[in-house]
Amino acid sequence: MKPAQFEYVSPSTIDAAIAALVASNGEGKVLAGGQSLLPLLNFRMARPAVLVDLNGIEGLSYIEDRGDRIAIGALARHRELEHSPLIASKLPVMSAAMRHVAHLAIRNRGTIGGSLSHADPAAELPMLATFYEAEISVQGPSGRRTIAAGNFFVDALTNCLEPEEIVVEVEFPVLKQDGWAFEEVARRFGDFALASIAVSVRRGPASLEAARVAVMGVADTPRRLREAEDELVAMALDDTTPDRFAEIVVSLVAPNDDLHASADYRKHLLAQLARRALRTALAMKG
Amino acid sequence: MSSDRRASPSDVVRPRNVGAPIKRTEDPRLLTGNGEYTADRKPDRPLHLAFLRSGQPHARIVRIDAAAARQAPGVVAVFTAEDIADDFKPVVPFSRMPNYYATPILPLASGKVRYVGEAVVAVIATSRYLAEDALDLIDVDYEPLGALARAELALADNAPLLHEAAGTNVLIAREFRKGDVTADLAAATVRVAGRFEMTRKAPLAMEPRSYAAEYDKRRDAITLYTSSNIPGIVRDAVSESLGLSGHCMRVVAPDVGGSFGSKGSLYPEELLICIAARKLRRSVKWTADRLEDVSSSSQAFAEIVDAEMGFDANGIATSLQADVIGDVGAYSIYPWTCGLEPVQVVSFLPGPYKIGSYRGAVRGVATCKPPTGPYRGVGRPISTFVAERLMDLGAAALGIDPLEIRRRNLVRAEEFPYRIASGIIWDKAGFIECLDAAAEAAGYDRLRKEQAEARKQGRLFGIGIASYAELTGIGSRIAVAPGMPINTGSETAKITIDSTGAITAAFGVASHGQGLETTLAQIVADDLGARFEDVRVIQGDSDEVPMSTGTYASRSAVLGGGAAKHASKILREKIKRVASHLLEANADDIEVTEGKAVVLGTDRAVSFKQIAKAVYSDMKTLPVEAREELSATYTYDPVNGTTAAATHIAAVEIDPATCFVRILKFVVAEDCGRIINPMIVDGQVHGGVAQGIGAALFEELIYDEDGQLLTASLVDYMIPSAPEVPVMDVVHVESESAVAGGFRGMGEGGTIGAPAAIANAIADALSPLGIGVSILPMTPERIFRLMEQAQIKRKADE
Ligand SMILES: Cc1cc2nc3c(=O)[nH]c(=O)nc-3n(C[C@H](O)[C@H](O)[C@H](O)COP(=O)(O)OP(=O)(O)OC[C@H]3O[C@@H](n4cnc5c(N)ncnc54)[C@H](O)[C@@H]3O)c2cc1C
Repeated sequence: MKPAQFEYVSPSTIDAAIAALVASNGEGKVLAGGQSLLPLLNFRMARPAVLVDLNGIEGLSYIEDRGDRIAIGALARHRELEHSPLIASKLPVMSAAMRHVAHLAIRNRGTIGGSLSHADPAAELPMLATFYEAEISVQGPSGRRTIAAGNFFVDALTNCLEPEEIVVEVEFPVLKQDGWAFEEVARRFGDFALASIAVSVRRGPASLEAARVAVMGVADTPRRLREAEDELVAMALDDTTPDRFAEIVVSLVAPNDDLHASADYRKHLLAQLARRALRTALAMKG
Repeated sequence: MSSDRRASPSDVVRPRNVGAPIKRTEDPRLLTGNGEYTADRKPDRPLHLAFLRSGQPHARIVRIDAAAARQAPGVVAVFTAEDIADDFKPVVPFSRMPNYYATPILPLASGKVRYVGEAVVAVIATSRYLAEDALDLIDVDYEPLGALARAELALADNAPLLHEAAGTNVLIAREFRKGDVTADLAAATVRVAGRFEMTRKAPLAMEPRSYAAEYDKRRDAITLYTSSNIPGIVRDAVSESLGLSGHCMRVVAPDVGGSFGSKGSLYPEELLICIAARKLRRSVKWTADRLEDVSSSSQAFAEIVDAEMGFDANGIATSLQADVIGDVGAYSIYPWTCGLEPVQVVSFLPGPYKIGSYRGAVRGVATCKPPTGPYRGVGRPISTFVAERLMDLGAAALGIDPLEIRRRNLVRAEEFPYRIASGIIWDKAGFIECLDAAAEAAGYDRLRKEQAEARKQGRLFGIGIASYAELTGIGSRIAVAPGMPINTGSETAKITIDSTGAITAAFGVASHGQGLETTLAQIVADDLGARFEDVRVIQGDSDEVPMSTGTYASRSAVLGGGAAKHASKILREKIKRVASHLLEANADDIEVTEGKAVVLGTDRAVSFKQIAKAVYSDMKTLPVEAREELSATYTYDPVNGTTAAATHIAAVEIDPATCFVRILKFVVAEDCGRIINPMIVDGQVHGGVAQGIGAALFEELIYDEDGQLLTASLVDYMIPSAPEVPVMDVVHVESESAVAGGFRGMGEGGTIGAPAAIANAIADALSPLGIGVSILPMTPERIFRLMEQAQIKRKADE
């Protein structure tokens, strides 16, 4: 279990990193926290000729308050997001979700850029990006562009980046909300989620004015459930709302059977979590 | 993690060290990273080995093209079975058991491969990286012969044969019988039955298997450093296979990072690395990576048991029958044979109970998987799971409390020694005492009340009990597996005081985490009259220690400890004789204590150092005939061995939302005889129970229909981590055994009782839904499906 041979470069600027990727003729790979990439290298499932280490680039690790948006540099570690007071106050769903990401040692190294790029269907940050409608800024040989999170995740472990593009920043809009919840079930503490849901609500006089719902672990990519949001807003709120919501949520997903859980079990879990999450969100004093 | 509520029997007089919770001598070095494991060896310019392993479950090897690999950078040699054909004799796991076929063990697959993960080609290069690069360049043409993915399929008439020479896929078949089971079952008031399954496990030691064959040019000799818990057996087997005399074949097990049985058999890689070192006249190293360790180290359990138990109206179990199919994998292991695991299931199935008649039949069936071998508990986690499920089913059918039905069936104090229906003889041990102590510690009556409350609220709360007994410290009259050409019945201690007065105690029993350096030193210190910190225990080096089969089967404290006691006493007499000269006193008036010989009732004393000087260095003080070497060797054989017993009680709650099982309470009351070190005993119980929790709730090696391992990494092969292991309460019922020191073996018990207790607790929790437990692990997925089925059935019934 040793990686195949590769060349290692450690540029100090984004431009130099992109140049190194260009020079590698499509054989290059970016290294951030290494928590997902190194196992792939060791199993020889990834065999890049050049490893471009981003860790020497200054100024890529920040959490910045931009008023109605929070900007996070690609190299910000999971642990920094978990403990940021800014994120706790402005992006509370993210704050709650981060402690479910892997184990301490992994959170110390893993980065937001790496997690989004790796695009694991049961990973928290891709789901949070989807939930918040984050904008992902990427830089490549032809400059910088911004990709909506909804378009970024293409399939399990597949994003829409060009081979020479690097994620440099992620911007999360701050949600106007009165209540929210994040729920997840994993087999053991720190394992990837079997099912998870994030919910945010804004109350109106009789019903909800707005709702936001995203799920993960139940499809090849994290998913925002707009139909569920619309139905929730259209619903009259009463004791049966959480049950009805859970039914709607489950009707919108079609997970696969895999080693860790059957589709039916994942749907069962999601229904439980949806009910619980909505109850929590509705009960929250805004 | 445990509250120690040890009962202190009045008849136990506590010596100074034995019985004390002395901190483990080995821990400072192991916990500060100063241990020396096999992979830490730094021989001169070592070469590194990598194996090309089969991706095919069962296939003829048509052609191997390794030409490109031989030319690859850094590659020194590439070996296939053909290249080494003349360098060894196959090792045959011989046994005189009838209906047994011994599959020969070869260093590399020859002719065909029989499981995914079997080593086919060995590449030796200047680094592991380069060796693995060269693996990519090897082409093997295979002609598939059909996977045997499950034992039941391998039993079919038209199934392909894994070993043609055996003529069958059934590598071992045995039957135990006593009385007329058919008649007793027919006469029973209540009959309960089930088809039970314990899936395959990986023993998963923290240190993967690791070997370093160090070549000594001057003598054309090899020292094999191996992460083995049976270095003595490995030495003899490799020496025989390679035709090397013992003084050219030294085997050392240095610090070993756990085994749980997975390092307790001879491995093909151990043969291959020695062959390579010899052919190349260079030192060669190999450490399995986690993938190799999970997919090629011996695996565990994997049985399906059809069993039935009959009870009379009073809840006395009268009869028991079982048909066991063991999925033993592709080969029989050396020296234990493929019978070890499945045969133990039928020989221990009646457990600690006085069941009148019995029929237990077992077939060990070859499949395309790594061999099963020893794993903490061997066979008994399954036999206990089955017997304890049947006990609970019987209790439910008769309306008797599970605690009470066990009390009625356990062998009672006055009935020992007791021969159970499978033929095993239990010597006196605290069966009922453990049951009562566990019930008391768990607050059993209170738990039942809590359960009644919980049920009123619709909560799924369950209580499970498991009682078991095991044979430990087995002596020469009972072999670990019958008819093997090795002596598992005795152990030797050699204790020496050198010319500086330092004490070295050499043991053949090897240590791989049990703390034997500490416990054996405690015994020596007490029986020799030395200070604990002055005793150095050495193990695992064939040049330094007496011949031994190693540490396994909960034997080392009993056999090694017994040898330590006897050898210490012999040496103490020598010390007294010398001291009597030096102190001009009668030897009978001398007491040896704290590293000194003292004339009783006086302050006249000589230290071991002074005694050693007089014996070894001083020509004047002692007459020549009194200068006996300060050394004693004793070989101890407990003849029968001794019984260890325990009762485990688990209380669990199942969350219907997630189908997760939460262990609310876990109590172990165990009788391991005289306790040498209570802290180590607690640690062994905790670790054993943690592995039992793994077996009950998490761990499962899944092979698909093509024989491919789907759970080859620790992401997919789930083991309990700290948050999944509850605080446990360990109660020690300390009844001395009849062997030297009064010890009983206790390294495995935790893993034997826990799966059954948890299975019963889950079944109890789910009983309002009409759900039983017949397979382990009970994963959330399985619980979910059972609950779904129960709901469908309930709806249909309405
Ligand atoms: C045992 C274990 C458990 C885990 N459990 C969880 C969990 O529960 N939840 C969870 O979310 N994650 C989990 N992870 C994954 C962890 O969060 C990783 O940190 C994350 O997936 C990848 O981040 P990284 O910075 O380590 O990326 P790396 O491993 O360095 O890279 C991952 C991939 O992204 C690419 N990449 C990295 N940075 C960039 C960039 N800026 N631009 C473009 N491409 C880039 C790399 O080329 C590579 O393909 C777990 C990991 C382990 C080892």
